[in-house]
Amino acid sequence: MVERTLTVKARLGLHARAAAKLVRVASGFDSRVELRRVDSGISADAKSILSVLMLAASRGTNLQASVEGDDEEAAMMAIDELFAEGFGEMEPESAK
Amino acid sequence: MIEQPQEIRFKGLGVSEGIVIGQVLRMHDGIQNVYHWKLDIDDVDSERHRFRAAVDLARRQVMAIKKQAEQRLGKDHAYIFDAHLLLLEDKKLTDDVERQITEHHANAEWAVKVVGDRLLSLYSEIKDEYLRERGSDIEDVMQRLLVALSGAEPQPRSLSEDAVVVSQDLLPSALAELDLEHARALATDTGGWTSHTAILARGIGIPAVVGLRDFYRRTRTGDQIIVDSNRDEVILHPSSATLERYQTETANRIRGRVATEAGVVGPLRTEDGIEVILRANIELPAEFEGVKKYGARGVGLYRSEFLLARRGVIVSEEEQQLAYEEVARVAGDDGVSIRLFDLGGENLRELSQEAEKNPALGLRAIRFGLVNEPVMRTQIRAILRAGQSGRLRILLPMVADVSDVRRAQVIINDETENLTKEGIPVTPMSVGAMIEVPSAVWTADSIAKTVDFFELGTNDLVQYTLAVDRGNDEVADWFRTLHPAVLRSIDHGLKAARKAGIPAIVCGEMASTPAYVVLLIGLGATELSMTPSAIPRVRRTIAGIDSRVAREIAEACLKAETADDVEDLVRERLSQLWYHLFPPASLPARRQAR
Repeated sequence: MVERTLTVKARLGLHARAAAKLVRVASGFDSRVELRRVDSGISADAKSILSVLMLAASRGTNLQASVEGDDEEAAMMAIDELFAEGFGEMEPESAK
Repeated sequence: MIEQPQEIRFKGLGVSEGIVIGQVLRMHDGIQNVYHWKLDIDDVDSERHRFRAAVDLARRQVMAIKKQAEQRLGKDHAYIFDAHLLLLEDKKLTDDVERQITEHHANAEWAVKVVGDRLLSLYSEIKDEYLRERGSDIEDVMQRLLVALSGAEPQPRSLSEDAVVVSQDLLPSALAELDLEHARALATDTGGWTSHTAILARGIGIPAVVGLRDFYRRTRTGDQIIVDSNRDEVILHPSSATLERYQTETANRIRGRVATEAGVVGPLRTEDGIEVILRANIELPAEFEGVKKYGARGVGLYRSEFLLARRGVIVSEEEQQLAYEEVARVAGDDGVSIRLFDLGGENLRELSQEAEKNPALGLRAIRFGLVNEPVMRTQIRAILRAGQSGRLRILLPMVADVSDVRRAQVIINDETENLTKEGIPVTPMSVGAMIEVPSAVWTADSIAKTVDFFELGTNDLVQYTLAVDRGNDEVADWFRTLHPAVLRSIDHGLKAARKAGIPAIVCGEMASTPAYVVLLIGLGATELSMTPSAIPRVRRTIAGIDSRVAREIAEACLKAETADDVEDLVRERLSQLWYHLFPPASLPARRQAR
């Protein structure tokens, strides 16, 4: 199992669009991917969008990611990258 | 003879700028009644299959919508529907529904509703406003499942050339299914700044006014309608005079744009050399670019209410600070007046109280802030903090007299001190008062000694001075902007400011209407604030008139007995003196004798 703490950098948090990206990426791997809020301990299955949405992770939330399975290294790398680039939503969009 | 329907105006929130004249196309939001029945044990399996088939159908529909949205709106917007697909594929959701069917022998519709309601109630507890509003995605998916279960195919909608889509609420997928190339504008009963309707309307660049309350039920498909997002309103059954005015305005706007592009910037003076400053009223980020584009000298009025979105919750101090910093950047050296939240309890779910019988005269604006102090303190702290990175002023809405101002100042001083104690640097900030109710007008002398500037909100001033609700068509005949009582109030307010040596900015519809601007200049106004797109035409008006002549006209109007007299005077004098500036359609229409 690999573990890492990730910070939500997407401007609007893990909302539907960002969550959809995350679920798509996580579902591409066989490993089990769990995200746990560092502050409240609430955890979510990263392959379920409902579960991810219920984390209600706004910008700045720290999440502990635990990945377990045959492709855990690759899965963690992909997820880490997604968080690092803020789900492609770090730039202010005109809508807000 | 067919009876001509009366013109009615509805106030909402313009969330995507522009003006459109068109025809109503009503769209039902599809909310259905869901009934509950208990299944025979033998039917449980077939009910589960029925549910799975509905999920399949819904998925196919969403995929089609997604594809369409990608082509029309771009991948960025289409991603919303990817989330919908994932929701339909989510085992947590489908398993929950199937469990309801198997364990409780519930019909599939009821099972979907139970699971959906439970999810939505969990969602409504989320503290983050933006994330919480995304509950509408779950609502949307549930809705689609219910329709799929009923076996109904969503009807394809083709729109006429000038369709204005009117609905109670537009769920995102309903919106995307629309033939968007043909929708000219959107008008909805609910919704706020961050609702999908707003985001998509801005995305495709069509005007939208949301939050119109009970507008939908008063419309019929085919009704004529004007959507004026710049003034936050829609006009149903516009009269021929109104239509004409809008057509002229649209034409003027195009001419005005040409004038700005031709480089008409720099100090604006009347023919006799009096300098007049034009500022911008803004609310939505979509309007920000207009500030520079139309050459506004900063922002005279920033309506902060838009920060409170559809579900009506207070935005955190940090978020507010970011928003104010952005407006400050837009405004530049000329600064921005941030008007404290101008709303009542009905707008805020967290603090919602019993519906007031008479909200316009109730606990709203500064009163609301003084009663709900934490809300006001948070906002003031955010403004003070943002003041470090730009030129901000605090504007107090709807003060009754100097006591409201003093109470607000205590809070401002308190928070200045608190921030300093917390090690956050704060620079002193100008504080101004909105003069928009009669009690403030007639005690303006004492208020002027206590604040740094005045802003005269003419829309509310007309409404409160004449005791006429502008949204009520029964009393439309009594809503007279050019009533002598209104003009005398403005005169009184401006004089009080001059005497105290403080600036006074006139805002509201009067400031953006050329014929009225002449009177304001005549009453001695030297600063006006208006919706940015109105600046070119007001500029042209002011540059073409002599303030001494305007004063003469204004003084005659002050002595008039009725609004009719004032309008007659304005019509006659302006068309004689400056016919080139005031074509007949730009002047107050002649009224039928009553």
